Amino acid sequence: MRLIHPSRRAVLQMGAAAVFAPAIARSASAQGLSGTVRIWTFLSAEGTSPREVVLRELIQGFTAANPGVQVLVEPQPFQELETKFVAASAQGRAPDLIWMRDTFLSLVHARGALANLDDELSDSFRAEVLPDLYQVFANKSVFDGFRTSLPLWPSPAQVIFYRKDVLGEVGLDAPPGNWDAFVPVAGQLTKGDRLGFGLPSNDNSVSSFVNIMTGFGPGIFDAATGRFDVTGPEAVAAAEVVRQLVANGALSRTLLNAMGDDIQDQFAAGRFAMAQAFAPRFQQYRNIAAAYDPAQLSVAPWPAFGDRPPAALLGPYWTVGLSARSENRAAAVAFLETLYTPAASLQWSRVAGLVPDRRSVQSDAFYASPQAEVIRIFAGLLDSPGALTFPQNLPDITRVFPVMNIALQELIGTDEAIGAILGRARASLGW
Amino acid sequence: MGTALVGPALVFVLAINVMPAFYGFYLSLRRVFFFGDEGFVGLQNYTALLSDPLAWEAIGRSLVFSFGALAVAVPLALLSAMGIRRLGRWGMVLLTVVLVPWAMSPIVVALLWKWILVPSPGGLMGSLFSALGYPPRDLLTDPVLAMPTLIAIAVWRNFAFATIILAGGLGQIPNDLYRAASVDGLHAWESFRRITLPLLMPSLLIVVSMLTISYFNEVQVIIGLTAGGPIRSTTTLAYQLYHTGFVELDQGRGNAIAIVMFLINMLLIAIYIRILGRQPGGAT
Repeated sequence: MRLIHPSRRAVLQMGAAAVFAPAIARSASAQGLSGTVRIWTFLSAEGTSPREVVLRELIQGFTAANPGVQVLVEPQPFQELETKFVAASAQGRAPDLIWMRDTFLSLVHARGALANLDDELSDSFRAEVLPDLYQVFANKSVFDGFRTSLPLWPSPAQVIFYRKDVLGEVGLDAPPGNWDAFVPVAGQLTKGDRLGFGLPSNDNSVSSFVNIMTGFGPGIFDAATGRFDVTGPEAVAAAEVVRQLVANGALSRTLLNAMGDDIQDQFAAGRFAMAQAFAPRFQQYRNIAAAYDPAQLSVAPWPAFGDRPPAALLGPYWTVGLSARSENRAAAVAFLETLYTPAASLQWSRVAGLVPDRRSVQSDAFYASPQAEVIRIFAGLLDSPGALTFPQNLPDITRVFPVMNIALQELIGTDEAIGAILGRARASLGW
Repeated sequence: MGTALVGPALVFVLAINVMPAFYGFYLSLRRVFFFGDEGFVGLQNYTALLSDPLAWEAIGRSLVFSFGALAVAVPLALLSAMGIRRLGRWGMVLLTVVLVPWAMSPIVVALLWKWILVPSPGGLMGSLFSALGYPPRDLLTDPVLAMPTLIAIAVWRNFAFATIILAGGLGQIPNDLYRAASVDGLHAWESFRRITLPLLMPSLLIVVSMLTISYFNEVQVIIGLTAGGPIRSTTTLAYQLYHTGFVELDQGRGNAIAIVMFLINMLLIAIYIRILGRQPGGAT
């Protein structure tokens, strides 16, 4: 008798189909979908990172249930997704589905490149799924009644990752939740080649300086203009925190233009006790840990100023939209909806350590297990009193982060007066 | 007949070189943000650029980067070319080895050097410093060291190209001249100064011109290694063009920077032709 040995890929496909097909059959298969759904995302369908593994499984499940549909993932550099999409949209070659950062939604929407999802999503999805999402994220995608996208992977975005073993050296379980206490602890954690705190200061869509300012709460953003006061008392206090961290050795004066990826790699190599990091990458930080036991990795919100609760800035985060020029809307929307099934939410959590998009899924026994400890922390931060988002229309979105990162570099690497540095940043922005 | 033969090539050049250049100039006179054309603004993008002290600093850094790299790359390439010719067959082996960085993608070069220079425990340079008893140095994130480090990497990547051209130029110099110089009692240095250098001028003109264009427009290695930092210390005009056009998405102003870069490139080439072309043996 001839034995058949299925390949690993075939086993994965069968497994994924078994897991996801029942969940999506109702919404997709019954519709008799066909054609190709093109997706632009920073993930690769061939990749091995936790999120890529889940995406691949979801695609396999979807195509198993809809054999007439081909889902084509065309990975793009994450910082170019929105611009390339708008350009492609103008040229009539946009993908059907697009991953975008929330901070770019207003610009992309203004170019008319997105479809109104309220006109496209199924009735059941709108009735059952939308209310089950985190409303703070879901509502931010709606511009004057036009639903531009759906948020994916709700998370507190930039948080502080820390090593419990290192905090234990100074008798703490977690970083202090107030800057007055945090600064001296960060200094104490600097030892030998290890720095107390690692801050990325050269990304184009993230600003550590703004994250420090969030310790003053959502009031830092002007309700009418969306701006923050670059030279105001909150900004000056944030700058003073940076200078204190430099003075006590927690921040290196010569580590000035590290990007998030650099900080991640160096954290894994043991260079930092604590570091600013992107929350959805927690599992990745565990996987690449070289200098510490992955079980010692944990997460904390940003310290606050005064008596305020610790801060969690919910953004930038990823959202998924539908092209206004999509010619295969039915299949594209069906696939979009499969990203938000309870099974998918559970899988994002189990494999990638992400907070589930569907809140109701959190009643699953998995979320009470030790494996879900960090997810519980993230979920707690989303509901914490210190949680806040960027304004829906943060002005000069393409310039504000680079400008504030240059200011941060100057605060760390020079002795120039704080007022002069912040004044220059304000002038650069023209605010 | 001649026109018919040249025609297709001419159309091709017009389509991929000349027309985009004119379109870039057209866009530089408009306010274009995030692919949205917001109208004609005249020379506003140029006046804003030229009145910005950061732009002048970027031009200065471009010149420091370009001439700093040239000052190292050209003598190094000349030495290599002479060595390769002396080594015969083994010289070709050496040339093949030094050609590898030139053949590599700039982004790959950047990633490679980033990993070499990472100061973390486990990084090659970090380990080297540790072995020597020094704390790790952040060569790419230190405002003083970042630019020299970038120049060193740019030279490493490009000098083999110059070596090939100069080795070819050396091969064109008749050996009889060196034999005659030897009979006349000229020392090696005098032979180099009176024969090699003057007759190598056409090759040197090509090398200096092409490397200048290459270094002045270098952006991929800068993006990959320092992203213009720290504190703008490696923000050259080419990087500012990338940042303005592709990060800030101000495509009108980005095109204005491109036009200014084009003019500076042309000016530098004209100067080279004027200086080197006048030398004995130089192109005229």
